[in-house]
Amino acid sequence: MNTEVSESETEVAEPIRRSFLFAVSAAVMAFGLTAGYGMFAWLIGVFLYPFRESAESWQFLSDLGSFGVGHSLTYQSPAGQKIVVTRLADAGTVDDFIALSSVCPHLGCQVHWESNNARFFCPCHNGAFDKVGKPLSGPPKDSDQTLPQYALQIKNDLLFIEVPTTSLT
Amino acid sequence: MVTAVRNWFSERLPISGVQIAELTNEPVPNHLKRWWFCLGGTPAYLFVVQIVTGILLAFYYQPAPSTAYESIRTITHDVSYGWYIRSIHKWAATLMIAAVILHQMRIYFTGAYRKPRELNWMVGMCLLLCTLTIGFTGYSLVFEQLSYWGATVAANICDTVPFAGVFFKRLLLAGDSYNSQTLPRFFILHAAVLPAVMIGLLVVHVGILRLQGITEFRFENEPDDKPQTFNFFPDHFYTELTIGLILMILLSVLATVLPVDLGPKADPLTTPEVIKPEWWFYVSFRWLKLFSGTFAVVSSGFIVFVMFVWPFIDGWIRKHTRYTEASVWIGIVGVFLLVGLTVWEAIVEH
Ligand code: HEM
Ligand code: FES
Repeated sequence: MNTEVSESETEVAEPIRRSFLFAVSAAVMAFGLTAGYGMFAWLIGVFLYPFRESAESWQFLSDLGSFGVGHSLTYQSPAGQKIVVTRLADAGTVDDFIALSSVCPHLGCQVHWESNNARFFCPCHNGAFDKVGKPLSGPPKDSDQTLPQYALQIKNDLLFIEVPTTSLT
Repeated sequence: MVTAVRNWFSERLPISGVQIAELTNEPVPNHLKRWWFCLGGTPAYLFVVQIVTGILLAFYYQPAPSTAYESIRTITHDVSYGWYIRSIHKWAATLMIAAVILHQMRIYFTGAYRKPRELNWMVGMCLLLCTLTIGFTGYSLVFEQLSYWGATVAANICDTVPFAGVFFKRLLLAGDSYNSQTLPRFFILHAAVLPAVMIGLLVVHVGILRLQGITEFRFENEPDDKPQTFNFFPDHFYTELTIGLILMILLSVLATVLPVDLGPKADPLTTPEVIKPEWWFYVSFRWLKLFSGTFAVVSSGFIVFVMFVWPFIDGWIRKHTRYTEASVWIGIVGVFLLVGLTVWEAIVEH
């Protein structure tokens, strides 16, 4: 900044001491401004960054006995997502089952099951998946993206699924 | 290095300190070196703080009866530093109201509202009313018990105003009583309408101020040959920067030591035992308890009206009577009443 402006204000100018004081006060001010408002800006950043992990919980699906190999069931989560659960094997472990999300791995549209074509179909960019979620055609095939799966768990011969419990509406 | 940076900028932004000083060349009277003459800049700074923190809070706030309280709980307890931002907003509001009142007192007691500054006094009165209203609508947004009942009481106060009362009550509440459309109304008044109006008023306020210049005072102990003014930039600007930093520290300390909490959620079926508005409404609250409904409301309106046109009343008194210092005594009585009624309301329960 400029000393002439303030110099006109006092006649007793001691140039060296004054410019030194001026430099010190400017430095203190610059430090104060940066530290103070810098801190505040950082807080704003943290404040605005989303804080919530989406809430999930384990929900009961079925007992193992009544869920035969090759069968599928459509489960609707508390938040409304449709999830297709299929039993592929008979080992009696979680790995027998897959629970397919209906969210397309390409860009997030909802897929639906076409029984006449025996495939999941995504209307957004014509993505298609077989019944275990492997991509058949469309962009998901090109980049080899399978339908996402939900976590499953077996406890006391009962099958549980982990799903989001909060929804938008 | 510093010189290199400076040159880089001055080649692209051809402006120097001298030019800024000339552009903003507003000779600032010397008495502004005394802190109480900077009381006008304080609400202005706090107003900016309110806009920044208010915008931040609006990122999370949800103005509907079913979500408002919950969203404020989220801000206070879940969002990172949400309690801090919320507390700063609350404390800056409190300080802003205090600062506006102090600023008005300094204008009053130094007679700075006298001719030719009557209009700016009236603009200032509009700012005062806006400040109080924005405080009231803000408090209503929390949707805790006192927000709800405060708003209900205020609306019913409106109702007792002769003739126009019912109209304004319905306008304020979007219906005959508090309903699901009320909160969005308070929110948009608080976060859009009033701030916009206040920015407009501030532009006019400071505009008139610059056209007329600040009233100059001489203090007895000053030598006559001392220069009467100094420059806005950088000298006064520097003072204001310092005041800003001090306020920021003060606000942070208050927010940390006395963070805002959250009372019980609004319940339209039970009025709490002790019901009080925010402290800056204590005066009118006590007044309402002292006098019957309509009289209390009409007399408050009359007092506000007298305050509005005070510069002219004062001008008349000074011209036509010999009590040229009457305003000082009236002012002292006014301040005593203000403080007295506020303290009275603060110490009693009902
Ligand atoms: C949001 C509220 C307000 C803000 C931000 C504000 C801001 C300011 C500022 C920055 C000044 C410069 C002088 C000083 O700092 O003392 C000023 C002067 C003035 N204000 Fe305010 N003000 C507000 C409310 C009021 C109120 C409520 C009144 C009175 C009813 C008022 C009446 C005046 C007058 C008459 C002046 C000229 C003083 C002079 O020439 O010395 N203002 N205001
Ligand atoms: S989103 Fe499903 S194919 Fe693009």
